[in-house]
Amino acid sequence: MAFDEFTQMTLTGINLGLMYALIAIGLTLIFGVMRIIQYAHGELFMLGAYVLYYWFAALGLPYWLGVAASAITIFIFGAILQLVLFRPLHGKNILYSLAVSMGLIFILSSGGLLVFGTVVKGIPSVMSGGVMVFGAFYTYERMVISLFSAVLIISLWFFLQRTTMGMAMRAVSEDPEVSALQGINTRRIHWIAFGLGSAMAAVAGCLMGTLLSIVPTMGFGATIKAFMIVIMGGLGSVVGALAGGLILGFIDSFVTTLVSADIAYIMGFVVIFIILVFRPSGLFGQQWD
Amino acid sequence: MSGDSKTAKLGWLAALAFAFLFPVLCGYDKYLLHTGITIAFNIALATSLWLIWTLGFISFAHAGFMGIGAYTSALLFTSLGWSPWFGMWAGALVAAAVALVVSVPLMRTRAVYFFMASWAVGEVIKRVFAHYRETFGGWDGIFNILPPKLSLFSLEIDFASRTAYYYLALVACALIVFAIYRINRSRTGMIYWSIHESEILAQHVGIDVLKHKVIAFTVACFFAGLTGALYAHYHTYINPKTFDIWQSEFSLVHIIVGGLSTVTGPVLGASVLTIVDELLRPTGHYRIIFFGVVVILTVLFLPGGLETIPARLRALAARLRGQRKGEAQSVAAYDR
Repeated sequence: MAFDEFTQMTLTGINLGLMYALIAIGLTLIFGVMRIIQYAHGELFMLGAYVLYYWFAALGLPYWLGVAASAITIFIFGAILQLVLFRPLHGKNILYSLAVSMGLIFILSSGGLLVFGTVVKGIPSVMSGGVMVFGAFYTYERMVISLFSAVLIISLWFFLQRTTMGMAMRAVSEDPEVSALQGINTRRIHWIAFGLGSAMAAVAGCLMGTLLSIVPTMGFGATIKAFMIVIMGGLGSVVGALAGGLILGFIDSFVTTLVSADIAYIMGFVVIFIILVFRPSGLFGQQWD
Repeated sequence: MSGDSKTAKLGWLAALAFAFLFPVLCGYDKYLLHTGITIAFNIALATSLWLIWTLGFISFAHAGFMGIGAYTSALLFTSLGWSPWFGMWAGALVAAAVALVVSVPLMRTRAVYFFMASWAVGEVIKRVFAHYRETFGGWDGIFNILPPKLSLFSLEIDFASRTAYYYLALVACALIVFAIYRINRSRTGMIYWSIHESEILAQHVGIDVLKHKVIAFTVACFFAGLTGALYAHYHTYINPKTFDIWQSEFSLVHIIVGGLSTVTGPVLGASVLTIVDELLRPTGHYRIIFFGVVVILTVLFLPGGLETIPARLRALAARLRGQRKGEAQSVAAYDR
């Protein structure tokens, strides 16, 4: 393997890994706070990409404002989903919320096919050109997207560590009852966390949609990736999601280039399986029941 | 756990009698028989998944093990010429063997992590079928898997006939449901439910939790493999897509909508939802949306599933008569 190939694959790995991590962090946030499996997370990722598509490619409004608009729209949509569908199931068996989110997948992905059409669409790039890094070509677009994802992940981490709202979220995921006794409005935290997690997925959808293409059925693939990452890293852990995202990004980039996409997929699952056998709660996870 | 009363037994007998008379009642209509066969497969799959649920966890790899059964039986038939009658059992045994090997490390994980790990197992099984083209035919799948023929002395039945296959599927499905019902009613079933209630407590009273989990998982996958083999010989064509995560998820939805606490749940859920799915077929694209809506509405407005309907109706009748206590409590018991 030549050195420039290696650099190329590393850069692609980081790029993919950070975007995967964005989706996964949203999921892990929702799980940590509400203890539900949001199986339809990838569908919100898909919707986020379509909001940007209509904003930017169809209406011609500014790109970065479109990313913000998509994040806000999906934040509201996610919060409504939580209030209407998931709140009544809170505290019940995890299977019920799983069934509801499966129903959501059916509705959103088939509804998407009806509303958005089955044709593959692309969000046009806003910038062109690139730079040679150690013999590998790195487009400015990928660079900006990687940086943007990294900044977003770091600011979310700061939000969770430093702000009152972030600390309240961590408190709720640690122990809902005690945090309610401390005066935290857990119901409010639930819908905010759900909205925030969904908005992260939407932003990831925008970025991924710019680099690749968008179809209404792309949500489930994203859900699979997000789940792989989240169980690798440990449910409820932001650092774990970042680590898992990078691991999966590297597997996807290297194994797909060197062997094949199917083997990359199998390898991802095998790595998860091995991690879970030796660390049953993921790399950075706590033990949940 | 109800399902013991005389009415329940009569209900089961009536359902079985109806199922046996069904081909005559529908006038040997091919489409309706096909629906019947699909229902039988779905019931067998959902019920065996429910057996795993009685220990308190859900496997997403179930369709994968169904696939192992299907591929084993199909390959034995197409490349070695084994009779499906043996291939079926070989398929079930291979599925069980893989389940046994996989479940020992798998059972180390708990709760949500188990869902996910089993999910990974299911996907790996499917991708292995898809990747190895020479052995498993890749995404194209395997063709020309013929249904079995039976020749006992002067009696000859060709299961290529849909009516004959309907009875084969029905008998297999009834036997699987009955076996699981018996397991659930036995002492072992009680042990399973005690593990379901509290793993730690079960361990403290001297139950070997790991052993029971591994055995239950293996048995359930045996049934899934058997169903898979029957599926392969009915459809005569299989590909990895048939056994992907969606199949497991549909089974899970069948259980949740049907009800989780007795064997009636998966049977009811699988039958009703398969029928609903078939009824919605003319609506085209809207079919899946409607299906999603049905699932969400059932979970939100009928917690406990379809199996609680009789108790709910009784509670309603009792409330109308002004005596509400006892029956209302029995409904509340489901609602957990």
